[in-house]
Amino acid sequence: MTTALLPSSSFRKALLERGGATAGKCYQCATCSSVCDLAPAAAPFPRRQMLWAQWGLADRLAGDPSVWLCHQCNDCTARCPRDARPGDVLQAVRGLLVEDLAFPRFLGRLVGNAGTTWPLLLGLPILFWIALLAAAGLLSVPQSFHAYEQLVPHWLIYAVYLPVAGYVAAVSWVSGRRLWRALGAGGPRSGSFFGQLMPVATEIATHKRFAKCGTAASRRSGHLALFWGFVGAAVTSGLLIIAIYIQGLPMPLPLAHPYKILGNLSALLLLVGAGILVANRLRDGKRTGVSTAFDSYFAWLVGLVIVSGIVVELARLLAGDGMVSPAVALGLYVAHLGVVLALFLSFPYSKFAHLLYRTLAIVHQRMADRKEPTAA
Amino acid sequence: MERLGVFLCAGCGLGDALDLGALESVTQESKPAHLSRHPCLCSPEGVESIRQAAEQGNLEGALLGACSHRVKQQEFRFDPAKLVVERVSLREQVVWSHPAQQEDTQQLAEDLLKMGLTKLAKAKPAAPITDTLAPAVLVVGGGQAGLEAAAAAAGLGHPVLLVEKSGSLGGHLGRTRDRLPQGPSYEELEPNRLADRIAEIQAHPAIRIFTSARVRALRGQPGRFQAEIETLKGVESVEVGAVVQATGARPYDARRLPHLGYGASPNVVTSEELETMLFAGSLRRPTDGKLPERVVFVQCAGSRDPNHLPYCSADCCGVTLRQMAAIHRDYPRVETVTVYRDMRTPGQLERFYAAVQSHAASLFTRGEVEAVEGNGHLTVRLRDSLLGPSLSLDADLVVLAVGMVPNSADGEAIRALRDARRRVEKAESETQRQEAQKLVDQLGHHQGTEILNLEYRQGPDLPLLRYGFPDSHFICFPYETRRTGIYAAGALRAPMEAGQAAEDGWGAALKAVQCINAAARGEAVHPRAGDPELPDFFLQRCTQCKRCTEECPFGTLNEDEKGTPQLNALRCRRCGICMGACPERIISFPAYSVDAVASMIRAMSVPEEFEEKPRILALMCENDALPALDAAAEKRRQWNPWVRVVPVRCLGSVNLVWIADSLSRGLDGVILIGCKRGDDNQCHYVRGSELAHTRLGNIQETLTRLALEPERVKIVELAHDESERIPEILDGFAATLEDLGPSPLKGF
Repeated sequence: MTTALLPSSSFRKALLERGGATAGKCYQCATCSSVCDLAPAAAPFPRRQMLWAQWGLADRLAGDPSVWLCHQCNDCTARCPRDARPGDVLQAVRGLLVEDLAFPRFLGRLVGNAGTTWPLLLGLPILFWIALLAAAGLLSVPQSFHAYEQLVPHWLIYAVYLPVAGYVAAVSWVSGRRLWRALGAGGPRSGSFFGQLMPVATEIATHKRFAKCGTAASRRSGHLALFWGFVGAAVTSGLLIIAIYIQGLPMPLPLAHPYKILGNLSALLLLVGAGILVANRLRDGKRTGVSTAFDSYFAWLVGLVIVSGIVVELARLLAGDGMVSPAVALGLYVAHLGVVLALFLSFPYSKFAHLLYRTLAIVHQRMADRKEPTAA
Repeated sequence: MERLGVFLCAGCGLGDALDLGALESVTQESKPAHLSRHPCLCSPEGVESIRQAAEQGNLEGALLGACSHRVKQQEFRFDPAKLVVERVSLREQVVWSHPAQQEDTQQLAEDLLKMGLTKLAKAKPAAPITDTLAPAVLVVGGGQAGLEAAAAAAGLGHPVLLVEKSGSLGGHLGRTRDRLPQGPSYEELEPNRLADRIAEIQAHPAIRIFTSARVRALRGQPGRFQAEIETLKGVESVEVGAVVQATGARPYDARRLPHLGYGASPNVVTSEELETMLFAGSLRRPTDGKLPERVVFVQCAGSRDPNHLPYCSADCCGVTLRQMAAIHRDYPRVETVTVYRDMRTPGQLERFYAAVQSHAASLFTRGEVEAVEGNGHLTVRLRDSLLGPSLSLDADLVVLAVGMVPNSADGEAIRALRDARRRVEKAESETQRQEAQKLVDQLGHHQGTEILNLEYRQGPDLPLLRYGFPDSHFICFPYETRRTGIYAAGALRAPMEAGQAAEDGWGAALKAVQCINAAARGEAVHPRAGDPELPDFFLQRCTQCKRCTEECPFGTLNEDEKGTPQLNALRCRRCGICMGACPERIISFPAYSVDAVASMIRAMSVPEEFEEKPRILALMCENDALPALDAAAEKRRQWNPWVRVVPVRCLGSVNLVWIADSLSRGLDGVILIGCKRGDDNQCHYVRGSELAHTRLGNIQETLTRLALEPERVKIVELAHDESERIPEILDGFAATLEDLGPSPLKGF
C-alpha cells in the first residue's frame, strides 16, 4: 500500500529552535543504532528517528516508544561521524512531544517556551501565595516564632496542594492516555498493564537501564540520588500529615525524630544528586548533551525547591537565636511554597513528565513484545 | 655487434652461490673482447671499470651478469647510441631463487649468460630520429579542462591552439552562476569566477583561440602533427607537437527515462534545465509560472543503471547539492527534497553535503523513484526508501539529475562504417554487398560524429575503451589514449566534476609537453619511456597481409594503396606487437627482434633425454610478470631450475616461431606469462595479452598435428602484485611436463 509522505515544516522549525538542529546532518549510517545499548535488537534506534526528525514526521515520532526508551546516554552522540548529536535530537523531540501531549496544550507551549516565559512560570505561584496570605490576613508577622505553623497554618498548605495534586493527576491522566493510544496504534499489546508496571517500577527504582549507559554513565548516580530524594521527600510529606492529624505530634519535630531524619536525609540526597548532575554538565557538556531551555527550566526548578527547602529549615533553626527575623523567614517560606507549587504544576508540562511517559513507554514495550530489550 | 664485453658481479652473494670462475671459462668460449669480474659492479668503481673497458676496448655492447634490469637503472645508464647494455639477472633469477653451489643452479647461470651474450651479439646500436619538432599543443574543447590544459601548456612555454566548437569558451561551467566550494571551510557556495579565468587565458600571448571552429584534419605523428583548423573565416593549417582532447560530456537524454515523467509533464526538468532557470534568476514551475513550493531532485537519473548508463556519473550529486544550496539562498520558502541511491561526495564535498543537509528546507532520503505522475501537480512514487517500502510525495517541480555521456567519437566504428560503405560500392557479389549494407545500417549513426578527423588507417578518432570513454588504462596511466601524443582530459576521459576537470586539464597538458620533448629526442613515451629504439620494417619482403596495421594498438601504421604499411615511428610505443603479428618476420627493433630471441633459444642447453634434465622456456612480460618474478626472488621463493626466463616487451610481441623453434629443439614446454586481459584488462599495450591468447589458440592445432601434447604450451595471466603465485605457476607447469614425459622431439 502506498502512503503519502507529509513532511511537516513547522515541526522541523520547532525542532530547529529547541536544540534539534543537528538532526539535519545525519546521513543515516546507523552508527548510533549499533552503539546504543538501550535499543532493542528488533527495533533499533535512533537512526530511524533521526530521519523522521529531519523530515518532520511528527506522527511517527509521537507513536514511537523508542523516543522515550532513550535515556540520553549519548553513546550515539559521542560516536556520530557527522556530529549530528542524536542524543540531543531525541531530547528535543521529547520536549516537543511533552508539549504536544499536554492538556491543555497552551500550558505545554508556555512551559515549552520557558526560555522566555520563566519569570511568569516562577513568579505567578509565588504571587499566588502572597495574594492568598494577604487575603487570609496572614501577612502580619509575630515578634518571634519557633514553627512555620505560626506563619502559615498547615490547613492552608493542604488546602492548596491537595487540589493542585488532584489537578495534576487529572491532566496527567489525559496526557498519559494520549501517549498510550498513540503507542498502541503501532501494533497489538498483550498482558496486563499493572502486571507489567511492577517490574518496570523495580527497573526504575534501580535505574537498571541507566546502568547500560556508556558515555553519560556518571549521570546515573546523580539521577538515582535525585529520584530517591524525591521519593523520600514525598514519603516524609505523607508521614507529616499522619504526625499532625493522627498522631497529634507538636511541630516542629525534633531533629532526632525518625520523620525528621528521613526528611533531612532526603534533602541531602536531593542536594547530592543535583550537585552531581550540575557538575557533570559544567564539566563536560558535550557528553551530557546540549542544555536547552526545556532542560534548564526543570533543572532550575528542582534546584530552587531543594535549596529553598534547606534554607527555610536553616532559617527556622536559626530563628530561635534571633539570628533570622520572622519577616525574612516568612519571605523565604513563601518563596519555597511558590517554587514547590511551580514544580507541582509543571509535572505534566515540563521535562518532569518523562517520569510518566518513559514509564508508560517501557510498560508498552514490554507488553508489545514481552521481551527484555537486548543489548546490540 | 662484435666487440662485446662481459662484466660479472660477485656482489649480493653471487660470488658465494656460483662458481664465477667456471662461468668465466664458459663465457670465454665465445671469445668476448673483454671479460672481467668486480666485487660490486654497481659501485662507482665498478661502473667506472665498465666505462674504462668500453673506452679502451672500443666496445659496442656490454653484458652485465649481475642483477635484474629493473633495478640499478641509474648506475648502469650509458649512452645507448654508443654502448648497448644487456643485463643477465643472475641475482634474482639464479642465486636468490635457487639453492647455492648446485650443479643445476650453475647450469642455469651458464645458460642465461650464453643467451644474454647471443642476444647482445644480435643487437644494433639505436639510431633515434632527432629533429626540430613543432612545440605547439593543440587543445580541442574550450570547457574547464581544455582551458586549464591551454593555460598549463602555455605556462610551460609552449604555444597553444585552442579550438572550441561553440561561439564561446567555458563549456557547461560557463552557464552556471555558482560553484561548489573550492576552499575552506568547504561549506559555502562560491561565485563562479570562470569569466575572469577566461579573460586571463584570452590575454595570454602564447594562446590562440579559435571559436566556432573544428579540427578538419589531423595527420602525422607526435612532434609533427599537421592540423587543419576550420573556422568561419576559412581553414588554417598548423603544425603541432601534441594534442589534448577535452571535448567534455553532455547530459544523458532524459527522454529515454519516460517513467520519471520527462516529456509527460513540463514540470519535470533535467538538472541542466534547472541550471538555466537558476542562471536566469527565475525559478518557476513551467506549467503556471509560479514559484514551486517543493522541488524534488531525483539522483542517478539514468546513471548506475545497466539499461542506461552503467557507470556513476560522478558529478550529479555535487550539482544537486549546489542547486539545492542556491535555491535555499535565493528562494527561502522553497522546500527541496533529494531522493538518492547513495550520495557520493568525494573529498571535501562531504562538508558541503553536511552544510546543505543542515538547512531546514532540505530533505534527503535514500530510495528508488518508481514513477513521477501527473501534469501540473506531480506525485513522486518512492520504492524501498528509508522512510518506507512504498510512499508517495507531492511535488511542484521534479529535477532529474541526469548522468554524463562523453562527447567522444568512436574512431573504430567510424572506420568500420567507411570500410563497409566502400565494400558496398566495390562488392563482387550480391551477398557481400548485402552483408556490407547491413553493417552500414548498423553503424550509420556514427556518420558525422568525427571530432579529430585523424588521417589514421585505424579510424579518424580515438578508440574507445569502456562506456564510450577513450581512456586506455584508467588506473595506471590517466590521460593516455591509444593514439600516442593525443591525450584525453576532463569529462571526456571519465565522469568528473569541474574542479577535477581543471586538474585533469593540467595533467593532460603535462603529458602532452612530455610527449613533445620525448619526440624531439626520438624516445618513446610510457611505458617504455626513454626508449630510443625505433622499429625497422624490411618492406621488400612484405606481403601486404596488413596484420601489423590492424593489430597495432596505437594506430602507428598507415597503408599505401596496395596495403604496404607506412611507418609513423614517433607514434610507436615499442611494444613489438607488430613483431609478434608479422608472419614474414620482417619487423625488428635494434635490440629486440625475432632473430635475437630465436638465437637466445638456440643458445640454451638442451640435455639429452637420459640426463633427465628437462628444459622449459618462460616468455615473461616485462611489465607485470617480470616484476612479480623479481619480487618472488626478493622474498627468496624458489622455483624449478629447468625454467629459462626470456623477458619480452609484451606477450603481444611473442612471435609464434619462437614457440615452434623451442619445441623442435626438444624443449619440453613453453609457458607465456603476461598481464590480465578481459574485464580486468591490465595489458600495458591494451591489446597484447588478448592477441597472445588468440594467436596461441591457433598454434594449439599445429601442436596436435606435430604429435605434441597441447599441454606443452601454456599461457598464464599474472598481475603485478601476484608474486606469491610464481613458484606455483612454474613448478606446476614443470610437474605437468614431467607427467607428459620428455619431449618426443629431443635429439632430432
